Parts: sequence; C-alpha cells; structure tokens
Amino acid sequence: MHRAAHTALYDWSNILGPAMIRQCLKCRVPPQLSSRAYSVVPTPCDSEEKEMLDRMLRVDHAGEYGANRIYAGQMAVLGRTSTGPLIQEMWDQEKHHLSKFNEILAENRVRPTALLPLWNIAGFLLGASSALLGKEGAMACTVAVEESISEHYNSQIRALMERDPERYTELLQVIKEFRDDELEHHDTGLEHDAEKIPGYWLIKNAIQLGCKAAIYVSQRV
Amino acid sequence: MNMAALLRGLRAGRALRGLAGVVAAPAATKPQCSSLSRGFHRATLRLQDDSKSDKPPSSSSTTYHEHYQAHSAEQDTAAAHEDSTSDPAADQASRPNTSYQDQGGEQGEEYETEEQLQARILTAALEFVPQHGWSMEAIAIGAETLGLSSASTGMFYNGAGDLVLHFLAQCNSQLTDILAEQHNQVQLGQAERKKTADFLRDAVETRLRMLIPYIESWPQAMSILLLPHNIPDSLKHLSTLVDDIWYYAGDRSTDMNWYTKRAALTGIYNTTELVMLQDSSPDFRDTWNFLDNRIQDVVQMATTAKQMQSTGETVVQGFMGAAITLKNLTGLNQRR
Repeated sequence: MHRAAHTALYDWSNILGPAMIRQCLKCRVPPQLSSRAYSVVPTPCDSEEKEMLDRMLRVDHAGEYGANRIYAGQMAVLGRTSTGPLIQEMWDQEKHHLSKFNEILAENRVRPTALLPLWNIAGFLLGASSALLGKEGAMACTVAVEESISEHYNSQIRALMERDPERYTELLQVIKEFRDDELEHHDTGLEHDAEKIPGYWLIKNAIQLGCKAAIYVSQRV
Repeated sequence: MNMAALLRGLRAGRALRGLAGVVAAPAATKPQCSSLSRGFHRATLRLQDDSKSDKPPSSSSTTYHEHYQAHSAEQDTAAAHEDSTSDPAADQASRPNTSYQDQGGEQGEEYETEEQLQARILTAALEFVPQHGWSMEAIAIGAETLGLSSASTGMFYNGAGDLVLHFLAQCNSQLTDILAEQHNQVQLGQAERKKTADFLRDAVETRLRMLIPYIESWPQAMSILLLPHNIPDSLKHLSTLVDDIWYYAGDRSTDMNWYTKRAALTGIYNTTELVMLQDSSPDFRDTWNFLDNRIQDVVQMATTAKQMQSTGETVVQGFMGAAITLKNLTGLNQRR
C-alpha cells in the first residue's frame, strides 16, 4: 500500500513539483521514535519536518500552559464570586487541552520550551491582575488571549493544510477542535461584558501584543 | 567488448548469489528496489580486489546507520535506480569506468550518496586510529583499504574532526540500538524493567565501554571536539545521546524536569568520561564506581528536592492555619 501511494505521488511529481513529494517518499524512520501504532502526529520524514512539527507542538504546549495559569490567576481572585463557576468551566477545558499536548509532546519526544517557569509566573500575574479589575477585566483578558490563540491555531492549520492535509489529518483534527474551544471561550467572554471595561481597546491590544511576543519566543527557545 | 561484459556479468552473478543470505534479513522490510540497489552496492564491494576484510560485518549499527541514511536518500533515487538495475555488471567500483558511467547523474550508481561513501571510509579508518591517532593519516589508510586512492581524503573538509564525529555518531546509534532492543525485551515481558538509577548506570557504562579500544587516543579526540568549529556538532551528539538515554529510561516529562534531568545526566556522563581517561584500574573498575556514586548523588538530590517541596507545602499550610486562627480570634473574619 505504501508503495502504491509512493509511486502514485511520484507520478504527480512532475506536475506538483518535487517539494511536496520529497516530504512523503522517504517516510521510514527507526520504529523506536514512536512506539504507538496510532499517533496523532505522523512520524516525520526528515529533520526539516521534525523541526517544523517540534516548533508547532512546543508553542502550542506553551500556549495551553500559559492559558491554564491565566485562568488559575483569575480564579485566585474571582473564584468565590459569581463568575467563579464560569471561569472554572473554561479552566477545565484548558486543563484538558494541556493534558492532550503533554501526551503528544511525550510521545513525539518534543522538547518543551525552556521558558515554562516564566509563562507560569507571567500567566498567573496576568490572570490575577486582570481579575483585580473586576469581572469585566477578567473577561477582557479572556477575550484578548483567546483571540490570539485562535489566530495562532488558524495560522497553524493553514500551514499544515498547505503542506499536506492528508498526512496531518489527525493533528489537524486536534488543532481544529481546540481552536473551536478557544473561540467559544472568546465568545463567552464577549457575552459577559468584556467590552464594558474602560480602556478595553488598550487592554486588549496590550495583552495581544504580549501573546504574540510569547508565541514568537516559545517557538525558538 | 562482448567477452568483457560477459565475464563481468558472470562475476556479478556469482557475487549476487552469495549475497542472497546477506541481504535477505534487512531486505524483508524494504521495498524491492532499494534492497536491489543495496545488493549491487555490496556486489561492487565483492567485485573489488582483496579488501573484503575491511568492511566489518558485525558492526550492525554502521549498516543500520547507513541503512537509515541510505533509505532516506535512496527513495529519491529509487526511481532512477529502477532504470539502472538492468545493468548490474556495469557497476564497477571507484575505478573510472567511463563506458557505463551515467554521465547525466551526479551520483555514481555504485554508491548511493557521497555521505555513504564518506561513512564507509571513516568506518574503515577507525581501525587505524590506535596506531595513527585521530588524523588524516588514518583516514587516508582507511580509504586505501577500501581500494580508493588516499587523495579521497580531500572530501573531508574537517579532517580529523569528521572522523571523531563519525565515531561519536556510530557509538550513539549503537547505544540506541541496544537500548531499543532492551526496551523491546521488556515490552515482550522477557526481561524485567530496571530501576532508573540502574538503567542510567548501565546505559552510561555501555556507552563508555565503546571508548575502550580507543582510550589511548581519546584525549586527542576530545581536544579535537573542543575546537570551536566542532563544538556545535559535538554538543548536538551529546544532547541526542542524553535525550535517548532518558527516553528509554522512561522519562516522559514535559516541564522543567526535562531540562534538569538531561543536565544532570550530561554532567554525569562528562565527568565519568574524564575519570575514565585517567583510570588505570583493571577493567576500569574505579570509573564504574565513580559513575555509581554520581548517580546516587543525583538520585539523592532528587529525593531531597521532593522532600523539601512537601515540607514547604506543609509549612505554608501551617502558616495559613495560624493566620486564619488569628483572624478568627481578633474577629476580623466576621461579617457585619
């Protein structure tokens, strides 16, 4: 079956160009790199693909970790108010995301970002300080962060679709599911008076700038 | 011309029949064309002169390594090879055989890639390292045992550095094979899972034992690795080594532990390597004792860290309790 796929791809190579084919023709790696028969992430064909996947998974993991800490910070301040259950619910979903990424990282031997302690503290502080501005502040922070994350996931989905949608089907499924969850959080934030806070535009953009910087750095370090 | 071709064909045929057993095992898992081209690869070796002994048949890791390298490169040229498989007799070795050389292709058909050729030369050169040190001389002699001219050392821009790095890569992949095999044994239930400390000790010991044949000249190799242009590569090899060992030891952490564990093992490995260079006890007993002690140190530190953390948590809880009690006593907790 592999061979048929390979030869079929090779036939198309004259039309589609060598780059796409190169990715899939050499798909054999030492089996010990992934001991599961089924895996969300396909075994990388070469080091370039491995690096690309590593970066993506690393930054996604860092993002979910940071989001976790943000919600933890918000809960620490607003946990006993009426918004508590709402934030708790969103936090639980983020915990689920984080555990999924932990699993993927461990399976694929991806190095986690070295800045995790930084995101730990920074996330908690961001969540706590936005919650100190009240419920609207917390919701504004949620909206800003979730919008950043959704954009980021979307660009990853685009990148994977450009390369080879079939190869990354499961991974795309996971990212799409998580992106939909994040968008839901974003909408929840908007529903719960995020925009009512004074200086909403400023807060939102400041947080989004921070998120972009965090994403950029986490991909590399 | 016809007679020459016929003779070459006969020789190739004989060599191929002899190859059936050699290539059978690895060929089982590969597509047909790549096993054929590997067959021809070996055929060309047989067709060469008397230098059959230089290719150590037991270095399974080299062949695995080459196979892994070859496989990734081969798939590209697999289709190209399919055209050339009909003419095996033409594949002479490095002797410029202009009548059948594919002028259009950049690779000769007898060697899949330049990298593989380099790997073969370097592996052959390792035999001469104890005598000539890690140097271009050893590489030149290695090339000659393969039937190539010693001028082929010009391929190695990094000189002795190439040789040392190749040796590192070879040792690391050998270790990975051994660890993978042990892992399989455990999965199949044929062996017991080792405790982490024991696993680490065995893995580091196995890896360091690979240095024993070259221990006299290893200081020279280490100094070569410390040259600025070699540092990135040697660090990369070291980090993959440590990562592999931890992976097979069962580490699946995705937080700062990932870094601390690897840093600790890197420290253990490097210091033990240095001790080994100075060791003159029988079978390097002192080195293994040193290794044991260092691993115990790390395990001890980890246990202490955990204890400290739980103590810290308890202390914090105590403080919180005391603070709440005070608040209750002074009436601050009551709502008016």
